[in-house]
Amino acid sequence: MAYTEEELKKQLETKEYEYGFYTDIDSETFPVGLSEEIVIAISKKKNEPKWMTDWRLDAFKIWKGMKKPSWSNLKYNEPDYQAISYYSAPKKKPNLKSLDEVDPELLKTFNKLGISIDEQKRLSGVAMDVVVDSVSVATSFKDTLEEKGIIFCSISDAIKNHPKLVRKYIGTVIPKRDNYFAALNSAVFSDGSFCYIPKGVKCPMELSTYFRINQAGTGQFERTLLIADESSYVSYLEGCTAPSRDENQLHAAVVELIALDDAEIKYSTVQNWFPGDKDGNGGVFNFVTKRGICHDRSKISWTQVETGSAVTWKYPSCVLKGNDSIGEFYSIAVTNNFQQADTGTKMIHIGKNTKSTIISKGVSAGKSQNSYRGLVKISPMAENARNFSQCDSLLMGNECGAHTFPYIEAQNKSAQIEHEASTSKIGEDQIFYCNQRGIDTEKAIALIVNGFSKEVLNKLPMEFAVEAQKLLEISLEGSVG
Amino acid sequence: MSFQDKLLDSFIAFEQVIDIDNPIHTYRKNALNRFESEGFPTKKDELWKYTSLKSIIQKDYSLSVKSNPNVGLKDIKKYSINDIDSFKIVFVDGVFNPFLSNTTHDGMDVCVLSAAISKNKYKKTINKYFNKIVPDDQSLASLNTSYTQEGAYIHIPKSVLPEDPIQILHFSSGKNKPLWLQPRNVIIVEENARVEIIERHQSLRTHHGVTNSLTEIYAEKNSFIDYYKIQNDLETSNLIDNTFIDQKRDSNVRVHTFSFGGKLTRNNLNFYHKGENIQSTLKGLTILEGDQHVDHNTLVNHAQPNCESHQDYKGIFSERSVGVFNGKILVDQIAQKTNAFQQNNNILIDNKAKVNSKPQLEIFADDVKCSHGCTIGQLDKEALFYLKSRGIPEKEAIALLTYGFANSILKSVNIPSLKKRINSLISKKLGVDLGFDL
Amino acid sequence: MLEIENLHCKIDGKTILKGINLKIKKGEIHAIMGPNGSGKSTLANVISGHEDYEVTKGSIYFDNKEINELGVDERAHEGIFMSFQYPVEIPGVTVTNFIKTAINETRKSQGLDDMSSSEMLKKIREKANLLDMDSNFLSRSLNEGFSGGEKKRNEIFQMAMMEPKLAVLDETDSGLDIDALKIVANGVVKCSNDDNSVLVITHYQRLLDYIVPDKVHVIMDGKVVKSGNKDLAKKIEVVGYDWLKN
Repeated sequence: MAYTEEELKKQLETKEYEYGFYTDIDSETFPVGLSEEIVIAISKKKNEPKWMTDWRLDAFKIWKGMKKPSWSNLKYNEPDYQAISYYSAPKKKPNLKSLDEVDPELLKTFNKLGISIDEQKRLSGVAMDVVVDSVSVATSFKDTLEEKGIIFCSISDAIKNHPKLVRKYIGTVIPKRDNYFAALNSAVFSDGSFCYIPKGVKCPMELSTYFRINQAGTGQFERTLLIADESSYVSYLEGCTAPSRDENQLHAAVVELIALDDAEIKYSTVQNWFPGDKDGNGGVFNFVTKRGICHDRSKISWTQVETGSAVTWKYPSCVLKGNDSIGEFYSIAVTNNFQQADTGTKMIHIGKNTKSTIISKGVSAGKSQNSYRGLVKISPMAENARNFSQCDSLLMGNECGAHTFPYIEAQNKSAQIEHEASTSKIGEDQIFYCNQRGIDTEKAIALIVNGFSKEVLNKLPMEFAVEAQKLLEISLEGSVG
Repeated sequence: MSFQDKLLDSFIAFEQVIDIDNPIHTYRKNALNRFESEGFPTKKDELWKYTSLKSIIQKDYSLSVKSNPNVGLKDIKKYSINDIDSFKIVFVDGVFNPFLSNTTHDGMDVCVLSAAISKNKYKKTINKYFNKIVPDDQSLASLNTSYTQEGAYIHIPKSVLPEDPIQILHFSSGKNKPLWLQPRNVIIVEENARVEIIERHQSLRTHHGVTNSLTEIYAEKNSFIDYYKIQNDLETSNLIDNTFIDQKRDSNVRVHTFSFGGKLTRNNLNFYHKGENIQSTLKGLTILEGDQHVDHNTLVNHAQPNCESHQDYKGIFSERSVGVFNGKILVDQIAQKTNAFQQNNNILIDNKAKVNSKPQLEIFADDVKCSHGCTIGQLDKEALFYLKSRGIPEKEAIALLTYGFANSILKSVNIPSLKKRINSLISKKLGVDLGFDL
Repeated sequence: MLEIENLHCKIDGKTILKGINLKIKKGEIHAIMGPNGSGKSTLANVISGHEDYEVTKGSIYFDNKEINELGVDERAHEGIFMSFQYPVEIPGVTVTNFIKTAINETRKSQGLDDMSSSEMLKKIREKANLLDMDSNFLSRSLNEGFSGGEKKRNEIFQMAMMEPKLAVLDETDSGLDIDALKIVANGVVKCSNDDNSVLVITHYQRLLDYIVPDKVHVIMDGKVVKSGNKDLAKKIEVVGYDWLKN
């Protein structure tokens, strides 16, 4: 029920990107550029086994032969892939047992972000696997999780300690050659999270990872692999914020989810990478590949709140391979100033009696462009497949754009598909009504946008919902004429 | 030699036969250059994602007939609506047939384009309108332009209101080698004028030909155009229909497309708004079976404020047929107070049938009302059960529900004899006679 | 409380109010009647500060302070409440969240802290009871899918919650059946006291049977043409407005 917090209101008063600061941590950074040698060096640096090195090299070979995608509705300067450093790690050894051992500079960063680890630990019971740049530096709640047999660690550790699991599943949902950025990630991924929930286990807490880009000119290539074994359940939270920089930064993550029979995965994201300043300078390029595979009677639910990045290219998808499996996608994307977002989902129905739901809300302000691009595909063998999609856009001001590109492909007569989309603006009468009740215009817009996004916000875990509302308000600041 | 090369190579010979000093020559030549650089569209082209021309363009076609085929009134009677004494422009194998036609220059021009582009008296009008609304980036439109020679020319002057619909009938005799026909129709409706037009492409015998037709329509201030396209060709013929509509302020243009026949049919229907307070209506009813494939590709470009557009496409697909709907509403930044709606509903009857739908919105103005909806499903099982429980056999019950589904498209057909004709086409298609019309 | 002096205003270049004078004292209930198009709703909007209406001459004083230059929300903070003839829908925002935001924003302008959740809840319950609203209603999206009666009741509920100094009720009776009308009117009466004032704008006399006015004014063609006590309303109900022309 709690709608707004006074502290959030205060946040509203700062006009500049409030997480735009830079933490000075000693880092070890590779020379810029990408070659076979660099790929081998990354693998070596992380003490990876040979199969992993070979896997990366294969991906690199594939990437070299690929062309960058040009079909999305985005305009940007193509990053120079040879001007990026593909590895950076805090110099101090990351094997820390408690927070006291963490670089004090880093702790300061977290405090500025308002995500003090202590606080998070004590109050919300969230286990944190904090990733700064490319290597995990702190983990917690490991013991509790270990008791249940849950594995939650960095992907580097998983490669070392659980090679069988990693080898069995990595690249199975998103093959190396899936797309340009997935191939690049497969070759050079630095670190990320790994999670395995054993059979029948319900993960007792929300698992969460915070990402930051924190090194000038460093690309961020996260790799997340999440396996929910039969009849297990997990809710995973991912949140991002990034310091402001002038040059464009590339972020090309890969997230693979595997939901085995009767398992359920809830994957929530609040994405707030630096969007560039109000003149469109700087900002993160966010080219993410996220996909999950559903086995029999399993369910994968993606929820995302996208407020950041200069350019976003992201389609969290579900392959509904198993019978009676369910895929869901709930998304809010807010763009302001010169941001461009091209986001949506793919629901591939293969199994019988599969269901999918897509709720996408786009808010465009300033000179931004916001596109929904989605695919609903009903394969010939997908008897009794159901899909419901709803894409709503809200436009603020007359210099932005809102676009909807749904692809609907039905190859089975028993399919039942419904797609709806609408576009609207905030009515002057709504603003007047709020004003008359003593609510000023900026607050009124925040209220209306929150109402517009409610169906999606409701899907977020409580502690994320508050942060998400805050982000919505911050990202629309200054959009009112 | 590929057919594409043949098209390029034959151009000089084609133009030598006709008047090369004509101003149209420049359009033809430039269009051919564009076609040469772009070639035929492929499935990699976003607008052709779901329709492939590959098998069509691998074959060879004649570009014109050597001798005039002998086709009489009895051959074509059933394809024209004759209970109205209307003007007709009839072509057989791309050649105008004056015997079967009924043209006029009395108070308006209903004649052939070849005359309009060669005679001095039309020069001013042709210069003002010809090819002005056809975009440069569609290679099939360019291909048609490069071979512009014949087609219908209809010019309705200011405030003229013809009583009866005008029919444009393109026949293929099927007596020659497969033909690649490229008719070009130019329709100009001046201020306060109104016209109803029925267009049909029909093969008289099994014929593996292709028609790449292009129609330019200019709707001047406060004009009203009601345009009906009947696509019920034999199951071997292919049609690519390119229609470009230029609308001035206060005009109202409605296009109904009935796609029941043909092997592959592609409709590119494009509306461009050039003034305020315009209304555009696009309606389509597609009923397919066998290996038929119909692709509706629409664009409504809202480029001015206070305009409205309505799109309503319905499809029923049996056996191995494929339906594609790729509709786009594009609202420019200045087009405030736009109302644009798009609806695409489909019913799949058999498991081998496919529907691909892509209803798109591209919106750059904030004070607009735009929405689209798309559904794919089956006939309502409960309703079917209900009808059967009242003693209606399954086949009739299905037909009844199908009629109901199609009703929103048919009810806006304003020509009673046409409506009747379409009704009988539908009941034939469904294999039942319900004994009543919609 | 409210004093209007020689108020002229226009919208879209058209002059609607042509010199309105009105004085409402603390604790008084005034009614404004008039035929369609006389400028009744315009007056309500101008008092609220709607930006589409341009004040060309004259002044509005509230608590002895000229408020012509104040924005809509600032006037609301001063204690002016308008019950809308056509309340606006805000999808996804619940009645509760909306009223909470309105109250806390107003408190903030007065340098007060947010109202505590328990106090808010207590007040919501109390006022909801007053207007015979069930708790379901409070979690629904603001005015979305509300019936005409529910919308009006919601307006008076908000009025009760915000405790304004001056409530302007614009055609609050329109679209209400007699039972709903009684509930709404009763709510208004219960909220009114010696420290606040009410301005009822209405087309019909029937609302005034329940909210009994101290004074009745008739507006025609942008001017107050007649003022009197509640009997004036009764007379109009019987004989109409024609006798007041010129």
